[in-house]
Amino acid sequence: MTTISAASPPIGRTVKKWLLPAVPFAILVALWGLAVLLFDPPVGVLPSPALVFEAPFNSDPYLANVGASVQRLILGFLVAASTGVVVGVAAGLSKPIAEFLGPLTTFMNALSGIAWIPLAVAWFGPGTGMVVFIVWNAAFFLVFGNTMLGVRLVPDVLQNGLLTLGASRMDVIRQVIVPGAMPYIMSGLRSGLGFGWRAVIAAELVGASLGLGAWIFEQQEFSRMDNIMAGALTIGVIGMVMDRWLLAPLERRTIERWGMVGSAS
Amino acid sequence: MVKPASTTTATGKDLGAVRAAQSESPGLFGVAGLSSVIRALLPFVVAILAWWAIWAVLDPPEIILVSPASVFGSFIDSIAEGALPTFIARSLARLGIGTLIAIGLGVPMGWLLGLDEDVAQAAEPIMRFFNAVSGIAWLPAMIIWFGFTETTIQAVIVYTMLFPVAFNAMIGVRTIPKRYRDACRTMGAGTLRIIRDVYMPGSFPSVMTGLRLGIGFGWRALIAGEFVVGTTAGGGLGFFIFDARTQGVIGKVMAGMIVLGVLWLLMDRLILRPIEETINVKWGAVSA
Repeated sequence: MTTISAASPPIGRTVKKWLLPAVPFAILVALWGLAVLLFDPPVGVLPSPALVFEAPFNSDPYLANVGASVQRLILGFLVAASTGVVVGVAAGLSKPIAEFLGPLTTFMNALSGIAWIPLAVAWFGPGTGMVVFIVWNAAFFLVFGNTMLGVRLVPDVLQNGLLTLGASRMDVIRQVIVPGAMPYIMSGLRSGLGFGWRAVIAAELVGASLGLGAWIFEQQEFSRMDNIMAGALTIGVIGMVMDRWLLAPLERRTIERWGMVGSAS
Repeated sequence: MVKPASTTTATGKDLGAVRAAQSESPGLFGVAGLSSVIRALLPFVVAILAWWAIWAVLDPPEIILVSPASVFGSFIDSIAEGALPTFIARSLARLGIGTLIAIGLGVPMGWLLGLDEDVAQAAEPIMRFFNAVSGIAWLPAMIIWFGFTETTIQAVIVYTMLFPVAFNAMIGVRTIPKRYRDACRTMGAGTLRIIRDVYMPGSFPSVMTGLRLGIGFGWRALIAGEFVVGTTAGGGLGFFIFDARTQGVIGKVMAGMIVLGVLWLLMDRLILRPIEETINVKWGAVSA
């Protein structure tokens, strides 16, 4: 890897930026392939990389399961994001209410998501409703807590400035409080989605017949390790794509645009 | 170049953010006296009253919701039976062992990877990827490899905690200002000395961020693991609530959930926060 670093800056750096991260993946796949060749383990214990990469194309329910999981995640997350932000802003506007809800939020955060699965199964029965509730539950308290905190941290002086200039309460909320709290809202949303996605998988593992979690758990009964590993890797790819390519850039842009509310513009 | 703040702090900060939200109000174990204890407990009292009112008004069937009194009864019963204390001990032991293994493997791994910028840059995406393939997603594979055993639960916890810990240890080393290293070198320090006196202490705050994130994920992975594997692997709190649901005893389910929440708060206030504060007081300046 040190040899690559000798390349000339402009083109070399771009190549390096893309090539370098590929190296560990390549090594890992090579080692995996080699291990399969050398030790020849049963397919049910460790299939070859090729088998795992083919699995999605050979398995009909793959796409339906991916679709079901992603759909549940999006649904639950949208509800969590909207309720979390709205309720969080409302609660954050009042200091006593925010202080009152603070400890409760911590407590709920501590057991959000996965710990609710048994109760959710009792309430909704197995299936989509239960999984969506769990996603909502996993994400809501993070979004709510962060939003409330972000609102509380918007300096009063900015609100008073607008009020002095004749703005209405609504104007202040729209133009000062929500933008001011935006960096916190975004980081709440981002970690909410991360916890939400893990919660989808866990909920499906024990309480659904469709979805990636249900699928890999069912494949375990048939020792279809190729499908299990394909499913697990898919879970990783989806989680990473959402976080790195959707929410991280959004968060960065939000912080760049509104993050410095306190000090310079 | 590994970006210092934007990536990790993003994940670390949000948890910190929620934490800071509570520090506005007096903590559960704040030393500020009786009035602050009452103020901290009041929200919970009100929440329990609200729950009681909802239960009384809706009069739901017993398999949907039970009264706080009935949950308390289930809690006492479960303690008397001995199941709950055993399961609490078992879950905490699993988390403790998992944490120790994850620190033992993850921190040195992160430090090593962080020593060289190119290596760190190469390692970042793959660590992010395996962090995104959550331990829960590996559960079926682990079952095949290790069976419905203790090993499976432990492996899932360690896996889940390893990547946040290692990743943040690595970032911690990468974000130490180079002039500290250079200053030590100028004064004649060798590489080992620099690792010991600059990289290790300088990365502590970041390691702690990783650990907190890891325990948050690991705690949930533990519960999920115990749902699925607990029957044959000797129970645990996750198994306790899962099994109670199967029996249709919602009082036990809710008692178990409350125990989970309380345990987390206790761990947070009595272990994590004191360590974090010590680290920040002693070494925090480095990251500023």
